[in-house]
Amino acid sequence: MSAMEKILRLSWANIRKRKLETVSLLILVMLCMLLMGSSLAGVFGIRNIFPQMMEHTGSYENFILLSAKYYDDEFEHILRSYDSVEEVAHANMLYSYGTNYLDADGKEQAQYLGFITHDDAMKIEKAELETTLTEAELAAIEHPVWMPYAAQITLHYRCGDHYDVIYGSRKYAFTVAGFYDTMLYDTPESALKLIVSDQDYRTLQSVLDEYDILAYNDHQGQGGTQLMDDFTKACEDYSNNDIRSGLIGWYYDAFRLNTAFTLGFLLAIIIAMAAIIVLSVAFMIRFRIAADIKEQIVSIGVLEAIGYTSKEIVLSYMAEYLLIAAAGCIPGFLGCFALTPFLLSLGETMVGHYISHSVCVPALLLTVAGILLLVAGIAFLRAGAVRHYPPVRALRKGQGDHRFDKEYLPLRNTRSNVHLRLAMKGFFQNFRQSIGLTLCISVASAAVVFSFILFLFFGFNMNAIANNAGIEMSDLHIQLMPGEDAKAFAGELLAEPEVRKATPTTVEDMMLLLPDYNQMGFCMAFEDFSVTENIRPMEGRFPEHDNELMLTVTMSKMMKLRTGDTVTLEYLHVKRQYLITGLVTSTTNGGANIYLTEEAMKRLYPNYRPSTVEVYLEDGVDAEAYRRQLTQRYGRSLADAAQDKTESGSYEERIRAEAERQIAELMGTYGVSHVEYAIQVGDEMITGNSSSFRIKSILNLGSILQTQLGSLSTAITAATVAFSLIAAIVVMIILFILMESTVRKSRRELGIMKGMGYTSKELMLQLAFRIMPSALISVVIGTVIAVACTGFLTSYIGRIGINYPAVILVDTVILLFCFICSYFGARKIKKISVYELMTE
Amino acid sequence: MMGTSILHTEKLCKSFSNGGVQQHIIKNLDLEIREGDFTVIMGASGSGKSTLLYALSGMDKPTLGKVWFGEEDISAYSNDALAVFRRKNCGFVFQSIYLLENMTVFDNVLTGALVAQKNSPALVQKAEELLKKVGIGEETWKKYPNQLSGGECQRVGIIRAVINEPKILFADEPTGSLNSASGKDVLDIFTELHTKGQSIVMVTHDIRTALRGNRVIFLSDGNVVGEYEMPTYGSDDSKTRREGLQDFLDRMGW
Repeated sequence: MSAMEKILRLSWANIRKRKLETVSLLILVMLCMLLMGSSLAGVFGIRNIFPQMMEHTGSYENFILLSAKYYDDEFEHILRSYDSVEEVAHANMLYSYGTNYLDADGKEQAQYLGFITHDDAMKIEKAELETTLTEAELAAIEHPVWMPYAAQITLHYRCGDHYDVIYGSRKYAFTVAGFYDTMLYDTPESALKLIVSDQDYRTLQSVLDEYDILAYNDHQGQGGTQLMDDFTKACEDYSNNDIRSGLIGWYYDAFRLNTAFTLGFLLAIIIAMAAIIVLSVAFMIRFRIAADIKEQIVSIGVLEAIGYTSKEIVLSYMAEYLLIAAAGCIPGFLGCFALTPFLLSLGETMVGHYISHSVCVPALLLTVAGILLLVAGIAFLRAGAVRHYPPVRALRKGQGDHRFDKEYLPLRNTRSNVHLRLAMKGFFQNFRQSIGLTLCISVASAAVVFSFILFLFFGFNMNAIANNAGIEMSDLHIQLMPGEDAKAFAGELLAEPEVRKATPTTVEDMMLLLPDYNQMGFCMAFEDFSVTENIRPMEGRFPEHDNELMLTVTMSKMMKLRTGDTVTLEYLHVKRQYLITGLVTSTTNGGANIYLTEEAMKRLYPNYRPSTVEVYLEDGVDAEAYRRQLTQRYGRSLADAAQDKTESGSYEERIRAEAERQIAELMGTYGVSHVEYAIQVGDEMITGNSSSFRIKSILNLGSILQTQLGSLSTAITAATVAFSLIAAIVVMIILFILMESTVRKSRRELGIMKGMGYTSKELMLQLAFRIMPSALISVVIGTVIAVACTGFLTSYIGRIGINYPAVILVDTVILLFCFICSYFGARKIKKISVYELMTE
Repeated sequence: MMGTSILHTEKLCKSFSNGGVQQHIIKNLDLEIREGDFTVIMGASGSGKSTLLYALSGMDKPTLGKVWFGEEDISAYSNDALAVFRRKNCGFVFQSIYLLENMTVFDNVLTGALVAQKNSPALVQKAEELLKKVGIGEETWKKYPNQLSGGECQRVGIIRAVINEPKILFADEPTGSLNSASGKDVLDIFTELHTKGQSIVMVTHDIRTALRGNRVIFLSDGNVVGEYEMPTYGSDDSKTRREGLQDFLDRMGW
């Protein structure tokens, strides 16, 4: 028999002997391969996403958008004059902050929108249009719109769908003609750049601001803020104009970094999960070999006595685990071809672009090689212990072992439960094994606790999301008509029993400029921030004085500003300096919110008056019912009137409805401040005026939040459940294998103890208690890691509240889970027959 | 004077399946163990001595028949109930000794004691006294079994077995793995225990060991084929005792 044949025979015999443990280990290796391989392939995939996007869109890398009223043709020449800049293109686009559109349910949603003609789009990118409609269907569309792919991927628009855009009181009805790939304003999170017909562009031109786009590539990779700053100064010097308030920059590098971070975070979580399993596999192999050597020591002696070398025995162990690992890698490898495309499709949803789903096979092969190498290495090192047992010593059951330097927990000091004492004794006697176990359970606990914290925060509690939104999540958000006194209106509402609180404010309808950073933010002005319920500073305090403001965490990171710094604000060419008193988390408006008091706002704009009322209803009051009540009392809002297509009612009612619709359009679109009308119908004169409109619009924020964040909540819930499930499976397999091996290794001792009168249940309890110190330490370490990870995440996405009692509850559940798994994992103790042991 | 019955069997049978073939080791055996007796079970190899010992002690369940401990039918007990029965009523001394290798001498003794009774200074004191009595000095208490001689190990094994003051002490070839000097020491301990009233059931195939008992039961082919009674060891002439037992064993075909 050749040496290799001997080695494989020994390996195969060992595998067959412990089928259950082998299958468990195989499952762990399979999971490890699946997660590690897929995430690694995903990482390679991400690296290719951006070059793929650039190639597919044919887009320029950087863009400068400048309000047409500031633009001068010379600016293009200034940009071309920079050495690092090459290939400059010029196009025009209409752009609007905070446009509303009607979603599939007919509800208004806010969105940044840009409009461009196909000819202009092709100047800055390929703009290849894709549609599923026929030529005839396309020709039949009166107002076609071509949307970025993200609208299809994340907003689920399909060709032929209606897309109604609302400006003021005017609705522009478009039909989705198809989709195209773009880099600039490609997702709902940034903005959507829509391609419209020349005719529609001209129509929108009358109501939207036009911007000139300068697209350029920068071969030195310096297309960011420094070049922008130089360019802005040069343009201002040339034009003698302050152009900053009309300037927007878009840089490929910043886009790539932001997007890669989000995707990388997802993959990092999966890699962390795979790392837990790798650790577990390493630990299990190490432990299994140790147990096997102890159990098989006499057989090893016999093998050595009949001529097997210790090297052959070590190699047989290596072969055994390599066979198991290879068998686990095969289904894991194949599974990667399903999981990787799934991960990439998640990536598509995140980046809003179609990504190649091809799996990076070299990455998978690299993972296989890594796993096999790790398994072989650990098996080789641990099985090396066989060399310490020459045949005589092995045949004497390794006599010479069990020289203990220290006696742990002598039984003479037992004060209460002997089983607990023996369990703790076992823990200390197997300290190295306990360290390995602690490491594995720590990482798994960290994963479970971390995902639970996220689940509690995002997936379970909508209020938590509201508290992170950075805006007040009142029941109704009432925007008043220009000239209306918001404070008086709030006072009127407050007198009603349904209303708990009514706060006058300005939210989102004023944009403030931070000229030093070319950034804009939505004005969030309150008379006193202490009345707010959802805006809470994550760091520092609320602004109180007229020279103070609070920024979002996102803005502070973007501009590298901290609490205590000063910053300049600009509105209508007036600039004032403010002290940053605190930072707040904001998941709305792309994190571009600026918080300041009314007095601080008046310092910047003396005519400032609040224009909005946040209405908080008493418990049990239905927001929609109260909204109808408001309509009855104050008349319809301008937005409602503009959308009203009622053709029922009396002739006079229909005439009044049409008159109100016309008033709504005049006031909403053209800024008309007052309208009177008189219509003669036969002998009768129907008269009215715009004074009846006090409310511009009413939004039910809770409902919008539910719509917008419901899917996020579902996704997080699903992810955390999957995460916890994998961690639980891994911990369960570890503990089962550990317990089975321990029972096998300690078969003799357990049999003796049974003989002395210890019951199987008592011995199972002892073994389960033995792992509890490890489990307890692990849970503490895991919780600390999870809290630290949450803190790390907080610094990126804002404050994440930790519900410590709930976390302690999860910790307890983990401990119980470990105990139960260990207890039942040790069930083979029941099969140990004292009689067989005594007569063996 | 005959002691009262402490343990008896009723048509006890024990079989094992070997490659699908049933092997009947104990066959319809009726036996009574009396309180205070030093009962020695002898027989040829394969006669079922150890099997009987383990069935009597609740280490193993009979295939058929009953084992009565006083008024209790222990053959109907579950495995865990049998374990509780053993801890309360039985002590064991084995040929292979079976000390726990990962525990010190003292802990080996206390492991057996603490499962049956709560720790108390008295229990520790008792363990110390018993160990000293069998010649295991304080310097040895913190040693591990593989640091002791075979005789020392067996003495520790005996102390572990008797510390709970069991109603019956079972011993399976307790001197089988010891040299003659150590074997004698161990047997002297058994004799002393018996003198103090300890009921002992011992399996042996050694006539010198059997001489320590006062009742010898001879097994053949799974059943009792002969019984021989002797005075308590030390109360008669050793030569006469030896000749009497030898004569009995000769008649049994030993």
